[in-house]
Amino acid sequence: MSTRKAISRRRAVLQGIGATAVALSLPRRGYAQAKAPVHLGFWTFDNPQQRPWLQKRIRLYTEKNPNVTVDFQWFPFGDLGKKISVGYATGTAPEGFVSQDWFMPLWLDKDLIVPLDLGRLGYSSLAAFQDDFAPAFVSGAIKDGKAYGYPLWFYGYCNYLNTKQFKEVGLDPEKDAPQTWDQLGETAQKLTIRKGDKFSRQGFKFAMHAAAWTVIQFNPILIGAGGAWFDSSGKCAVNSEAGVKAMTTRASIALKYHAEDPTDSIATNPLPQLDWLKERCSMFMQPPLPPVLVEHENPAMAKGHYYRPAQYPGYVAGKGNSSTYGFNLVINARAAKEKQEVLHDLYRFVLSDPVDAWKSAAPFPLALKGGWTEDPLVKKFPHVEEILKARDNGVPLPRSLVYNEMADSMHRAVQRILLEKADIKASLDTAAAEIDRATAAYRKA
Amino acid sequence: MSRRPALALLRGCLELAPLAALTFLFILPILWMTTTSFQAGDKMFQLDTEWIPSVWHPENYSNALAAAPFARYFLNSTIVSAAIMAGNLVFGTLAGYGLAKFRFPGDRIVLLVILATLMLPLEVTLVPTFLVVHQLGWLNTYQGLAGPLVIDAFGIFLMRQSMLAVPSDYIEAARIDGAGELRILWKIMLPQCRPALAILAVFAFRDSWDQYLWPLTVVSVDRLRTYPLGLVQFGQDYGNPPTEQMAVAVMATIPVFLLFAVLQRAIRRGFGLSGLK
Amino acid sequence: MTHTPSAGKPLPRAIADTAAAAPARRALRLGYGNRLRLCGIAFVLPAMLFFLVFKYGPMLWAIGLSFTSYDMVSAPRFIGFGNYESLVGDPVFRETLVNTLVYIGGSTALITVLGLALALAINTRVPGARHCMTIMFLTNLMPIIAVCLVWRFLFHPYGLVNQLLRHIGIGRIDWLTGAETAMPAIIIVTVWRFAPYFMVVFLAGLLAIPAEYYEAAQIDGASALRRFWHITLPQLSPIIYFVIVVSGLLCARIFLMPYIITGGGPGNATRVLSMLVYETGFSYLKMGRAAAISVVLFAISLAFTVGQMRLFAKSEENFR
Repeated sequence: MSTRKAISRRRAVLQGIGATAVALSLPRRGYAQAKAPVHLGFWTFDNPQQRPWLQKRIRLYTEKNPNVTVDFQWFPFGDLGKKISVGYATGTAPEGFVSQDWFMPLWLDKDLIVPLDLGRLGYSSLAAFQDDFAPAFVSGAIKDGKAYGYPLWFYGYCNYLNTKQFKEVGLDPEKDAPQTWDQLGETAQKLTIRKGDKFSRQGFKFAMHAAAWTVIQFNPILIGAGGAWFDSSGKCAVNSEAGVKAMTTRASIALKYHAEDPTDSIATNPLPQLDWLKERCSMFMQPPLPPVLVEHENPAMAKGHYYRPAQYPGYVAGKGNSSTYGFNLVINARAAKEKQEVLHDLYRFVLSDPVDAWKSAAPFPLALKGGWTEDPLVKKFPHVEEILKARDNGVPLPRSLVYNEMADSMHRAVQRILLEKADIKASLDTAAAEIDRATAAYRKA
Repeated sequence: MSRRPALALLRGCLELAPLAALTFLFILPILWMTTTSFQAGDKMFQLDTEWIPSVWHPENYSNALAAAPFARYFLNSTIVSAAIMAGNLVFGTLAGYGLAKFRFPGDRIVLLVILATLMLPLEVTLVPTFLVVHQLGWLNTYQGLAGPLVIDAFGIFLMRQSMLAVPSDYIEAARIDGAGELRILWKIMLPQCRPALAILAVFAFRDSWDQYLWPLTVVSVDRLRTYPLGLVQFGQDYGNPPTEQMAVAVMATIPVFLLFAVLQRAIRRGFGLSGLK
Repeated sequence: MTHTPSAGKPLPRAIADTAAAAPARRALRLGYGNRLRLCGIAFVLPAMLFFLVFKYGPMLWAIGLSFTSYDMVSAPRFIGFGNYESLVGDPVFRETLVNTLVYIGGSTALITVLGLALALAINTRVPGARHCMTIMFLTNLMPIIAVCLVWRFLFHPYGLVNQLLRHIGIGRIDWLTGAETAMPAIIIVTVWRFAPYFMVVFLAGLLAIPAEYYEAAQIDGASALRRFWHITLPQLSPIIYFVIVVSGLLCARIFLMPYIITGGGPGNATRVLSMLVYETGFSYLKMGRAAAISVVLFAISLAFTVGQMRLFAKSEENFR
């Protein structure tokens, strides 16, 4: 009997040694397999700098947490909202996604995203969370005292000037950067070169090709003129006196100063900033411009560095507001509880290294107010102060439940005004009526 | 006497000249697409654009292929188009044979019902077809891409017309000899309907190769995109010059032209144009 | 009694069953006839089932959906004729409807005329005409997305079309951004794309007209125009009817051309119903309303087809 005990004890010891040996020989992942595997879907929009960085941060997280796998998908910028809506409708929406700021009202109205557990994100209270970001960034994400979105990038558009062309016509790119809309028109006029009925160079260009850009470009002019998209009762107010003033300003570059060719934009490169990059126009308002894009499109401009971002003009000199928008990390309300928790950790990790975001995705600034802007890597980026200033003094896009209809109506109105020389008040009246109809239809549904 | 052939040739050229000029003008856009695909991106939309490139840039093709996963997109399109072409050939033949050579109660109504579906294209039934495909679990799958297009009334009608012209004697004789219907179809009908099959193959492939709205609706992942989705996306993304878009367009045009070239003679017979000089 | 064709005998191109086969069939009617009937049904069954699932089912569903408000996130809500009422009162829908009718009418007419003209031009004894036809036919095969992208560049203010026009003295035309020129531009692209196919169809029809008719008319002293009007057109009228119906149905469903080339602009000038269906359903998420619009589109196709049938029947009487 004692032999049997000895044998079984020996066997137990051997088994113990064997088990330890096996455990030691397993890669470190083996231990983590004790946690239940979690599979997530995550969708975002495509951008050559921002998307790869996001993908990298998520990959780093899944390497540290091997039980988590993320199916990372991305879509064209203008399609993301549509794809997510259809995804919700068909039950194929991802557990986590990047929400463009202007879609927040839609998700919130239909209860499609969850309020965030701020504690898990490292904040002690809503106030602490709000302090970390400027109000423009968080106001769209906060409802009834709860935060529904974790702001990712928020940036303002700048008026990018081609300094070489400025100097060519005897203007100083620093001093003569337009401060008011009238100055913009006059400066653009000086920079324009025409050959008969063709423009070989446009002084300034507005993008005419997409409804999203129409709203982005018109927004700061409208707000600057004292107008609003909707009044307090929810009725569309773009056809107010201020709205007409704003639209007249918008149209003046082409119609009054003859410094722009609206028909040229639609059929050329869909991204009109390519016209600016190819030096077919001298000024263009665009998101922060990554140097690598300039190098790719116009190596001479990159090498000579003859461009700079300037602040938006306003109706009063020095009081321009830029157009800003941003993106929030949000969580699908239909995701399982454990996945929601994992997403919180994932998001916290993604945004835990803001300087790294700058390294990969400069010059797109994060919405985070502080804690990274003093880093030398950030400070030495050319014109970073202008970019951050544009972010901070910008006006956010209107947040409407019928954003797509609103954008399409404004887009048609701008086309009528600029391409068919239609009456501005009449066009805006039509647009406002369309938007009101859409809002009423949404409310009824 | 030796001048006559030369004179005849000259006269032929002169007679052909107006038609040739018209043809050239007509296909000018195709030629423009091809020359532009070799043009430098910067040369587009200068005030006096040069239409024949002074410097040829074949790297537009490799750049375009590298910038987006077009190889994958073209593969997807090929799979889906081949499936739809095959489906149309098979089911068009089956239904065409049934309608051409058989009498059964309601056969006139069946013909009308099938032809009436020409008024129900995907553009009209988009939303519910999307919902049906979603119910079947076919979103983001090849089945979903090809499914709703795999049989088309045009193909059935074409095969029916072609089979009507085949004399029934042979079929009767074969039946009496004890041949099964599928054997008759395969051995007697199809060989005589080759021209119609050729036409159907080319048009079914082309229609599927062209599809944009349906893939746009049913696909939301990159790995299943067909090339039209990829090409439109490519044109909207950062920094892809129109010249590279034209390069992809040329690459997309080649398969359809090739298929047509291969089946050309049969197609001409199918249209009844063998008598044309 | 076996009927075996002798080797090498050319096949007659008879359309109807020959009388010789009938006695054989009568002799074997019992069971044989039913078996054939079942075979016939079996052959068409797959297609019928397919159309039930993918054509008629969805159409009925679309009609049902058109009476609901459905945003896909929550269940459909019955609202009776609400969608139709709001469409009638919506200027954007009315403009789109008019655009669609103009587009279908204009394109169909021009396709028919140009198709016939090209067929007549090819149908000469000129050697090489056949090759010209084949080359022109290529425009019908070119991928439609390539067609749209190419023409968008061609119609640019500084594009090829304007440059060619400049050579004949016409100044700059902003094709895609002018309210009066945008729809014609789309129609031009459509006609360019589809006319060659119908050219071939017309050509086949022209070749089938017996030469004796023309010879007899020439002997009687009829001019070319009279020959065309009294011989060619009547002989071609079934084909003309076919071309009008088919090209009308093709144009009714066009989506890509306006979508890619002008995006529906400027303003609303080139928006057509198929675009509106897609936008309303997948951009604004109003599936019920989108279904209502597609019902209207279907109604147009139906009216067009039925209308053609009656017109054709009437014109047949005139020509007899």
